[in-house]
Amino acid sequence: MTAILECKHLTHYYGKRKIYEDLSFEVPRGRILGLLGKNGTGKTTTINILSGYLKPRAGECRIFGENIQTMAPSMRSRIGLLLEGHVQYQFMNIVQIEKFYSAFYPGQWRREAYYELMNKLRVAPGQMIARMSNGQRSQVALGLILAQNPELLILDDFSLGLDPGYRRLFSDYLRDYARAEDKTVFLTSHIIQDMERLVDDCIIMDYGRILTQQPVARLLGTLRRYTCRVPEQYVPDLPEEFYHPSVIRGRMETCSFLPPADVERRFAELQVPCTDLTSELMNLEDAFIGLTGKY
Amino acid sequence: MTRICKIFLCATLAVLAVWQLPWCYAFLTTKATPNSFVMYSSLLGDFILTRYEEGDGIVRRDVAGRAYSEAETDSLLPMFYMRQLVADERFPDTLFGVPVSPREVQNTSFNFRMRPSAVNAPQTGIYFLLESMPKRVELEMPDDAFRFTHAGIEFITMETNAADAEKSARFTRMLAQKGFAFPPRLVSGNPTTMKDYDNGYLLLDARGRLFHLKQTAGQPYVKALTLPEGVEAEHVFLTEFRDRKALGFLTDAEHRLYVVRADGSVVRTGLPAYDPERDDLTIIGNMFDWTVKIASRGVTHYYALRADDYALLKTYDVPTDSGEIFGLSFTSPYDRYVRPRF
Amino acid sequence: MLKAIFYKEWIKLRWYMLLALIVTTAVAGYCLLRADRAIELRGAGHIWEVMVLKDAVFIDLLRFVPLLAGILAALVQFMPEMQRKCLKLTLHLPCPQQRMVFAMLAAGVAMLVACFAVNFAVMTAWLSAVLPAELVTNVLSAAAPWYLAGVAGYLLAAWVCLEPAWKRRVLNLAVAALIVRAYFLAPVPRAYNDFLPWLALYTLALSLLAWISVARFKAGCQD
Repeated sequence: MTAILECKHLTHYYGKRKIYEDLSFEVPRGRILGLLGKNGTGKTTTINILSGYLKPRAGECRIFGENIQTMAPSMRSRIGLLLEGHVQYQFMNIVQIEKFYSAFYPGQWRREAYYELMNKLRVAPGQMIARMSNGQRSQVALGLILAQNPELLILDDFSLGLDPGYRRLFSDYLRDYARAEDKTVFLTSHIIQDMERLVDDCIIMDYGRILTQQPVARLLGTLRRYTCRVPEQYVPDLPEEFYHPSVIRGRMETCSFLPPADVERRFAELQVPCTDLTSELMNLEDAFIGLTGKY
Repeated sequence: MTRICKIFLCATLAVLAVWQLPWCYAFLTTKATPNSFVMYSSLLGDFILTRYEEGDGIVRRDVAGRAYSEAETDSLLPMFYMRQLVADERFPDTLFGVPVSPREVQNTSFNFRMRPSAVNAPQTGIYFLLESMPKRVELEMPDDAFRFTHAGIEFITMETNAADAEKSARFTRMLAQKGFAFPPRLVSGNPTTMKDYDNGYLLLDARGRLFHLKQTAGQPYVKALTLPEGVEAEHVFLTEFRDRKALGFLTDAEHRLYVVRADGSVVRTGLPAYDPERDDLTIIGNMFDWTVKIASRGVTHYYALRADDYALLKTYDVPTDSGEIFGLSFTSPYDRYVRPRF
Repeated sequence: MLKAIFYKEWIKLRWYMLLALIVTTAVAGYCLLRADRAIELRGAGHIWEVMVLKDAVFIDLLRFVPLLAGILAALVQFMPEMQRKCLKLTLHLPCPQQRMVFAMLAAGVAMLVACFAVNFAVMTAWLSAVLPAELVTNVLSAAAPWYLAGVAGYLLAAWVCLEPAWKRRVLNLAVAALIVRAYFLAPVPRAYNDFLPWLALYTLALSLLAWISVARFKAGCQD
């Protein structure tokens, strides 16, 4: 499989604050990749670098094999961009905005895809986008991207400000579209629930680094939550393969990619005073919290 | 492209810096320099400098440095301090053997000031010709204005903004008859009612010849004035002083100053040089002598001229700090245009 | 594609431009009306005299109006682009970015110039009826640098507005204020006449500055 989008050795700082160092990843054709991370871990920074609105301190990103900093303008017609909060030109109405964008995508613009979505919205044709609800705006933004019909979609935090219904609508619409048309999608979100239904692969970021990067199915099949009883005053001091061990009222909880047998053996080696060790698989949200911690 | 834009920004910043920084520096460092008031005294045969001196207050000295009291100075400059002398009942009956009266002093004294900024100024090209022999005592502004065209002079009735063809033709005919070449290079007059009489305009025609134009009883009065041999007139200034002895001043290409007398003769003064485009000229004149101050860059010249033949009596130069620092400026005290200059 | 850019700028600016047209023309009209009153009360001769002898132009009220109109036009046009970084949408369009940015500026300048041209036409028409060509020229030449300042104000405000970082924005504002000063130095009418063509060229070149802001925006500069 060829990589549609590929980032190599990205390093970025804001002033002296490191966002991340040596971040590399790629998105193969036809895959939906979700970049997950808590606020401030650099999701929007990555999107900005990918869409050409931030020059990284080091490293480079290539889309369709072209460096995005020097990409030919016409290449941008193959990339759909959704800004954080479904930002669109507030001063236009849905008719004007369609008329405006269609001029830039001759031959590929699918007017009917846009209006199919718009017809489901209860907005007057003359209503300005500024006076629409967040949900309605998200549909306008989505409709424009669907009409543009790009090969690659870059979506920055599409769930921001949407109520559950619209979130579900958006992610379902997007998933069906991407699957049916073999589109490649790179997206970020801080609401993990939606991602499980949507993404094929995920990158989970912590401050300054990538925690894991793998297909969601594999992640959910291998990452386990381990719980056991420990003495009240026990302070866990576990090696790195155990994520965020915590003790609350004599119960220790931690996450690990190690299978149960290995964990049992490691705990014995480490002389962890535990009893009743249990393990369970988790959904994506729990896995995310398990890996990134609650704080 | 980004590079070109940045170069443009840098160039703009550089221009702003050489424009604004010297201005700031000048604004912060300028202090008032004590200025002398200089007058020539024919009685003393020397200039008297009146100025403020730290500790002594106002002092009056001659060029050699000898000090004079206030009363002595009044007496040495009887024409200038005439009113004070009259009040003190010290005004003399005769001076240099000539009987003088306060009234005569008043009628023969004048002030004339010409700044370069008045010379180097955009011209509108619309003028007003007053009636020089008004029926009433007071002068009145006319109902029309005039302009010069390539073909003649054109009077415009102001109320209707329409040309007065008849009057225009009359004046054009008269000017043409006297050999006037349109359009004039220079037009000088004082279209105001705040003067004792009206003398119309002094004109330099397209060929550089000098003419006097006025309106008497509604009719054109045009006189061609003969310039001395080899004089190429550059600037003329119509004066209208009370004593009616002169029509005005004239300078030539060599920056010599002439007096245009009422009879039309043009007489050279003893001034070495005066360039109206660069020098600030002040003349304080009376029936015996003129004190001429010519402030140019770096030096202020004072000249004393004899009143009847304009012969140079004495010279006194004061070097001045021009106060100019290097930099860019868009305006200048020497003209009234906006353009970049160093 | 440029047509679409003009369409977008038209949507943003049309109501503002109508307002600017009404207000600037109204102020110009008010100035002319005052002159008209003065002619009625004191006679045309008086007006001619003060115009020739005292360099009066009767439109002093208008001095900063075009500047204000220009600055507001830039704000109306570019604030929506900077609001939530909408400019990213524009720059993402498959069209050379410089061409789009300069097309946006050209749209604004064209609309402003059209508005100013109406002002000039109104003034010329009215003044020509009561004043000789020389005095009409006096008035218009006094107004010319002010109107040019309107265009400069527009381009400079665009530069400030598109700048992504606040500190730099304040700096730009200071520089812009100094640049604008150069349009208000006239001691008398016609003072700018010889310099005006050069100033006009420079004014148009000010559009280059906006690209610096956009380039900084693209590089992700922020406070």
